[in-house]
Amino acid sequence: MKLPLLILTTLLLTTTAFAQTLIKGRVTDARGRALPGANVFLKGTYDGGNVDSTGTFRFKTSRKDTATLVVSFIGYEPYTKKITIGTPQPDLAIRLQEAANELNTVVITAGAFEASDERKMTMLKPMDIVTTAGAQADITATMNLLPGAQRVGEQEGMFVRGGSNLESKVVIDGMIVQNPFFSSLPDIQSRGRFQPFMFKGTSFSTGGYSAQYGQALSSVLLLNTNDKNSNVGLNLGINLVSANIGYDYETKNSSISATAYYGNLKPLFALIRQNVDWVREPVFTGSSLTYRLKPTKNGLLKVYGMYSNSRLAMNFRDPSVETGPAGPGKTTIDQQNRNAFLTSTYTDSWDEGRWLLNTGFSYSRNTDDMAFNNLDFGRFDTRIQARAVLTRLMPGNNSLLFGAEAHTLSMSNGVMGTTYKLNDQYAATFVESEIYLTRKLAGRVGVRGEYSSLINRFNLAPRLSFAYKTGLYSQISLAAGQFYQTPDYRYLYQNKDLGFERADHLILNYQIIKNQRTFRIETFYKNYAALVREFTNQPFDTNPYRFPWGRTNNTGNGYAQGFDFFWRDQKTVKGLDYWITYSYVDTKRLFSQYSMSTTPTFVSNHNASVITKRYFAKLRTNMGLTYTYTSGRPYYNPNRNNERPNEYLSDRTPSVHNLSYSASYITALKGNFIVIYASVDNILNTRNVFTYRYTPDNKTRYAVGPQSYRSFFIGGVIMLSKKAKVDVNQL
Amino acid sequence: MKTIIITIATILLASTSPVWAQSEQYKQAMTAVLTTMNGQSEKTPPADMLATANQFERIASAEQKEWLPRYYASLIYVYMGFMGKDAAEKDKYLDQADKYLKEALALSQKNDELAVLKAFIAQSRMVVDPMNRWQTYGPAFQDALTEAKALNAENPRIYVLEGQSLFYTPEQFGGGPKVACPILTKASEKFATFKPVSDLNPVWGKSNIEPMLAQCAK
Repeated sequence: MKLPLLILTTLLLTTTAFAQTLIKGRVTDARGRALPGANVFLKGTYDGGNVDSTGTFRFKTSRKDTATLVVSFIGYEPYTKKITIGTPQPDLAIRLQEAANELNTVVITAGAFEASDERKMTMLKPMDIVTTAGAQADITATMNLLPGAQRVGEQEGMFVRGGSNLESKVVIDGMIVQNPFFSSLPDIQSRGRFQPFMFKGTSFSTGGYSAQYGQALSSVLLLNTNDKNSNVGLNLGINLVSANIGYDYETKNSSISATAYYGNLKPLFALIRQNVDWVREPVFTGSSLTYRLKPTKNGLLKVYGMYSNSRLAMNFRDPSVETGPAGPGKTTIDQQNRNAFLTSTYTDSWDEGRWLLNTGFSYSRNTDDMAFNNLDFGRFDTRIQARAVLTRLMPGNNSLLFGAEAHTLSMSNGVMGTTYKLNDQYAATFVESEIYLTRKLAGRVGVRGEYSSLINRFNLAPRLSFAYKTGLYSQISLAAGQFYQTPDYRYLYQNKDLGFERADHLILNYQIIKNQRTFRIETFYKNYAALVREFTNQPFDTNPYRFPWGRTNNTGNGYAQGFDFFWRDQKTVKGLDYWITYSYVDTKRLFSQYSMSTTPTFVSNHNASVITKRYFAKLRTNMGLTYTYTSGRPYYNPNRNNERPNEYLSDRTPSVHNLSYSASYITALKGNFIVIYASVDNILNTRNVFTYRYTPDNKTRYAVGPQSYRSFFIGGVIMLSKKAKVDVNQL
Repeated sequence: MKTIIITIATILLASTSPVWAQSEQYKQAMTAVLTTMNGQSEKTPPADMLATANQFERIASAEQKEWLPRYYASLIYVYMGFMGKDAAEKDKYLDQADKYLKEALALSQKNDELAVLKAFIAQSRMVVDPMNRWQTYGPAFQDALTEAKALNAENPRIYVLEGQSLFYTPEQFGGGPKVACPILTKASEKFATFKPVSDLNPVWGKSNIEPMLAQCAK
């Protein structure tokens, strides 16, 4: 009886032994180099092996007939192949393709300067915006330190590559912000209204930007708000001018943040000598509320609302005034600003991220109750906008997006008691595609169509960019496009027959980001066409508050050309992070009230900045030093023969220098974070001059400079953690 | 005759019930790779660690319903994430860790060990570039630990990660040994009573905190 058992076992053993087939071969990359560490196996079995240092693998399998061979290796596209198992088994030669990643895939970057946490290969991080000395944690002030921007000390906004501040737009989550800055005052630079900590990503475009955006001849600043709270609990802040309170709360799928602040500049002005004659020091109050909800796995709703109210009065130097409430040579400006901004966006994605939807709705309302020597110069505007963008992502990084937006805008402006009004319905639609011909060469092709009811015109603006990867860490990009903008509404109050103004951009860029060092150089040519010209039949009027009374048409034109570079090094000196930027622009334009083609008064040909930052671990302090240089700007001298092109606006102001310092100290007290910060602006107390003006008799020239020379600022924030919050409530 | 019947029965059983057979094979394979893995440390060459991760990947491919091979593959990539020579390489390993975590979570949603792993990955991401990443990965780390505590507050690895993170956080950011030591002690207490669900389930963490506990004792 032992026999059958023996036969059976023998049979069993031999079949198993015979069934073992040796699978062997080589795994290499596309260029034939061995890929040690790659994993080779038959799908659904335990049979497999690793690739050794020579690129070969070998393993045995008991599978017969066919099996699926899988080869996987980190950084490479997985490889699968149906193989037939038989004897003799031929050697397999497998080539893996490198997977797309940030190092081997080109990114379209011409014209854009990005600060982001999500992408690793960016030149800036969001923290950089907050920690830069001389920028006072103001986003736009930081952008003004970047290449392409020109600093204009007495006006707010972004002056980019020869463009005026009216040619740049601030966009939050795709929505245009109607009033991104606190209301402007003559010869005083107002701050931006938004806190840098609100944003997870910033992209500053100095030209050649995507067809998704419009209405900006020069530049767009794209800000993307955070998807979630960075902390939970109560925080309190106090500084020389204001006190604020914030509260953050979150649940699994939603979060809410509320802030409120009160500010009064009287204490600061008592400490720092003011070059401005304040009648009523600025007092401001405001609040904001952010709500976020994740209704589905990928959906995200964000609602952000804010309201602010500020009041101030000042005497502005105005030599044309002979008699007035403030006396001769002065105009009293009394301004109360009330601003409300509400924006909500909903984003979602389907089909494993292959379809993306971005929608938004926003409402803004701004009232400036303003009087000049008791005459009404009040301004009012509202903007309602809706936007939707649908993106389809395709294999190989290719994408196609299309979208539309609609705005309705109403504005009014009082001028010496008369109120001008207008309404505009603006609509735009756009389509854009990113095409990766290879991982090294990509293009973006887009077109944007716009319509404005106020001027009853259409435009169609093509946009094109290319990027080619020249090495593992470097690439070149080229961008070209047309950009349209509705003329300044102040012209349209009186002439609705104007057409869109236009700019054509051509940009060439080279950048290399390697080993914590970044170098970027960009050269550009910008052509201006159909700019609005105003015919005043008067000498050039330097009054910053002038209202355009003259006849207008679209016959203006001009150009701007130049280059800029950026160098950042976080490596050479351990712990030290420094950047150097330089921008050169050569521009001439015939537009506005200029009687001939000339370099406008807001343009400085050379702008340079050096920014340094260092963290001192022992002192627990982060310190920064920033130096900026702005070359002289043209100003109008009525004593020249201004009929002659070589004399018209031929005078230049002296250059502007500024050295500023900032420090922040972080500590914890019973689990609560405390941040104390201090800064000194214009350490050398340089008597900077931004422009000159003349008295009506043309005899006396006076300088317009900063609000104050050397100044300092100090403040602190305390973040009460969850645990401490309870203690606060018990008090 | 009796033996034949038993033998045949065994063979039949083995061939007709592949589940049982496979699970035996699974157990053996896992035990073998776990032994290799436990013998590895931060001094092990990356190639060897990769080979171990590959073995887990192969087991995962054969065992479509098991979260553990994916868990361990991910864990090895987290270790490799600490060892990478630059930020790009570290992120590359951590991308891989995320991939296996995602696969494991698809098989086992409410799992304290996977929540701990999620926290571990967030912590490693933060370590790559703390200055710029704490705002994103700090909360992600905390959220994952909170989730793990809600699922099983007895899991000692929660306190290993929490205590370790606090231990190396500078005092001015609310860390330091003073805050960390009670949590590390708690981890050590939890290890004393912790019983893994099976021989294959995670047990790591005890040796990680020993050097810190020694400093705490001083």
